Order: sequence, then structure tokens, then C-alpha cells
Amino acid sequence: MRADLHPSDQELLLAADGELSRREAGRVQAHLSSCWHCRTRMHEIETAIAEFTHAYETADEPVPPIDGPRALLKAHLEEASNTSRDWSWLGFRSAIGALAILLIAFGVLIGLQLRARQRAHANYVALATPRISLTPGAIRIVTRDEVCSADGAESARVVPANLRQKVLEEYGMPQAKADLFEIDFLITPELGGSEDIRNLWPQPYEATLWNAHVKDALEDRLHEMVCSGEIDLATAQHDISTDWISAYKKYFHTDRPF
Amino acid sequence: MRLPLLVRQAAAESAKAATLQEEILGLFEQSRAGLLRYLNSMGVRDHDAEEVVQEVFLALFRHLRLGRDRHNLRGWVFRVAHNLGLKHRNLTRRIAYPADDSIFHRQIDPSPNPEQQVNARQRQGKLLAVFHALPEHDRCCLHLRAEGLRYREIAKALGISLGAVAQSLARSLEKLHQADGRL
Repeated sequence: MRADLHPSDQELLLAADGELSRREAGRVQAHLSSCWHCRTRMHEIETAIAEFTHAYETADEPVPPIDGPRALLKAHLEEASNTSRDWSWLGFRSAIGALAILLIAFGVLIGLQLRARQRAHANYVALATPRISLTPGAIRIVTRDEVCSADGAESARVVPANLRQKVLEEYGMPQAKADLFEIDFLITPELGGSEDIRNLWPQPYEATLWNAHVKDALEDRLHEMVCSGEIDLATAQHDISTDWISAYKKYFHTDRPF
Repeated sequence: MRLPLLVRQAAAESAKAATLQEEILGLFEQSRAGLLRYLNSMGVRDHDAEEVVQEVFLALFRHLRLGRDRHNLRGWVFRVAHNLGLKHRNLTRRIAYPADDSIFHRQIDPSPNPEQQVNARQRQGKLLAVFHALPEHDRCCLHLRAEGLRYREIAKALGISLGAVAQSLARSLEKLHQADGRL
């Protein structure tokens, strides 16, 4: 508001009600002291407030006595206090109970996880060599000549997805990642091994010293030896299915894989 | 060890609740008449208005019990009363208007002579008629201001801006002034 302009009714009302900032209130006050018109207007506003207040305060129906409603409120408050106290006690007990249940559940969960880890670890250790009960090895009826023809051997290497999944389930690892394990033939098809669940097991690629790559080298070595006549097919099949790690050591003349 | 601790906790809770009850009853005594007047003007009357007031103070008990904001409890009480009054009115579908004009004939100062009494009664009746004829929004603003709430409190109670409160009050007072001038 500029000092030379008349304040609006709204500004006068705000000034009368003390709702203006100190600066604005000062300006309105300065204007009022010099402007009869606005002072009259302010007086009219004040009068309207006074008239209304008088009418308002005297016209309403008499308020009923407070004693009854006060007693009623007191009773309601007592009830609310007791209810909330009961609830707080109940809440405390419930919280303790819930905490105990949570702790037990947490313990069970940890236990299950540890057990699963142990089982996974057991699988992991065992996977360097197959479990004989699950994977004793299985062969096709083939001759040495058939084994040494490259065509037949290569076509049998791909394990169907459903069979792969069955093998993983059999070994208790249905969620195992495909890139970590090879579903390997215990007796490789190149040596007459068959595509049979008894001849398949999940072998880790990298996680162990005696892994799938090492066994692949043994398979190649045995295939060469069978085809070159250094050993017969039955011996190769027996050695690789009985203990392929020992066979590796035997045929590569080493205690550690190359 | 645990039981005495719980007993002590319970005793402390009881003492706290008792203090809170006293505080609420004190505020009830201060504000009840104003709240009833305000609710009446909204069209919530008599027993219903008393019920709403009880509800308001029980809500205040819960509010304070949860350790919530204690600033300007009078404004808070009127704001909750306004909301509960609206809710109650919507439920009962009552019309927000005084039931009769008998209230205009009460509590007039007995000292003036009969002619003055008639004039005063007419003047009061006219002003209150204007007041009740105001739009509900303006009537609520004026009512809350008459109950002593500051603009900020009114704005919060009614969910409007400070500027809207000032405009509403100026508009209402202008109408009252015009009515007063015609008497």
C-alpha cells in the first residue's frame, strides 16, 4: 500500500485485527492519522464488529449446564485411558511374543540356510567325481571301429534339456546355473558311453582342480589310445567309469592335472 | 525384576493419563460454549452438538496421548469440531439454519424502556438475520473470528488461505454494516 493511497476495507480490517506486518500496520496507522475518510471507515468497521459481537453473544440460546457433559466426558476419558492401557499392556505382551516368534523363525531360517550350504558344499565336493549310486556309467554296444569313426561320437554329445534338468534334480541342485556345470558323460560317447541318466552327472567347469576340462583331456587321451590300439575299449570304459581321476593320473603319469 | 518395572511403568502411565484428563477437562470448560454456538450455526444442534463436542475432546485426548503437536489447541479443537460437524451434518442431512427466531428475543438488557427494548431487539434480529443469510463459508469465518481465533487458525480450521479469510471477513462485515445502516 502506498502512503498516499487509501487502504482497502480488507487492509483496514487486517489492521484492526492486528494481522498486518509491523511495517504495513505502521503505514496504515500513519494514513489513518492523516485521513478522516479512512478513519471514519475504520470506525464503521469497528462498529460493525462491535454490533455483531453484541448480537452474537446475547442472542444465542443459553448453553445447557456444563456439569452433565463434563462428567460424561470424564467418564469417556477414563474409559479411553483404560482401553489404551489395556492395549498398551497387550501390545507389550504381543510385542514380546512377536519378538520371540521372530527370533525362532530367524533361527530356523539360519539353520536351514546353513544346512542348505552344507548340502551344497557336499554336492560341490562330490561333484568332482560322480556319485556311484546315481552315476555308475552306461554304455552302448559298439565296436572299436565304430568308436573310432568321428561321426558317431560327435552326434551324441548334446544332452537334451529335459534330461539335463533330471540329472540336476537327481543331484539335488535343480537351480544350478548352466554356465557353472557341464552335464558330463561319465563314459564319454567317444568311448561308447550312452545317453543315459546313469551315465550323466553335473561336473563343475572351474570350481575344482579336477574339473570338466581335465576330464575332457582324459577322454581325448583314452580315445587316442583306444584307436591307436594301445589299450582296448573295455579297459578304457572301465578305467574312466571306476575312477576317472586315478585314470588321468595313470595315463598322463602325473598326480596333478596339466 | 520385570514385574516391579511393569508396575512402575503402569503407575507412571496412570499419572500421565490423569494429568492429561485434567488438562482436557479444563479446555473443555473453556471452549464448550463456543463450540456449541459454532456447531449450532452449522446446523448441528442440541444433543447432536453435545455429542460432537464430546467426540472432539476424545479426539484431543488421543491426539495428545500420542504426543502430537500441542501448539494452539483451541484452534485445533475448532478445526476438528468443524470437520466433525460437517460429517455429522452430512450424515443426518440437516439444514444449516437456525430452527426458529426465538433466540432473537432472549437475554435483552432489561434496564431500557420498552421502546428501547423493541428497537434493540429489532436491531439484533436484523443483524443475526444477515449473519444467518451469509454463505456458509463466510458465516464460519465470522463465527470463528467472533470466538477469538486468529486468521491463521481460521484458515487452518476451514482449509482456506489467509487471504480468503480476510476477504470473507471484510465481505461479511460490509454486509452487516449495510444492514445496520438501514435500521
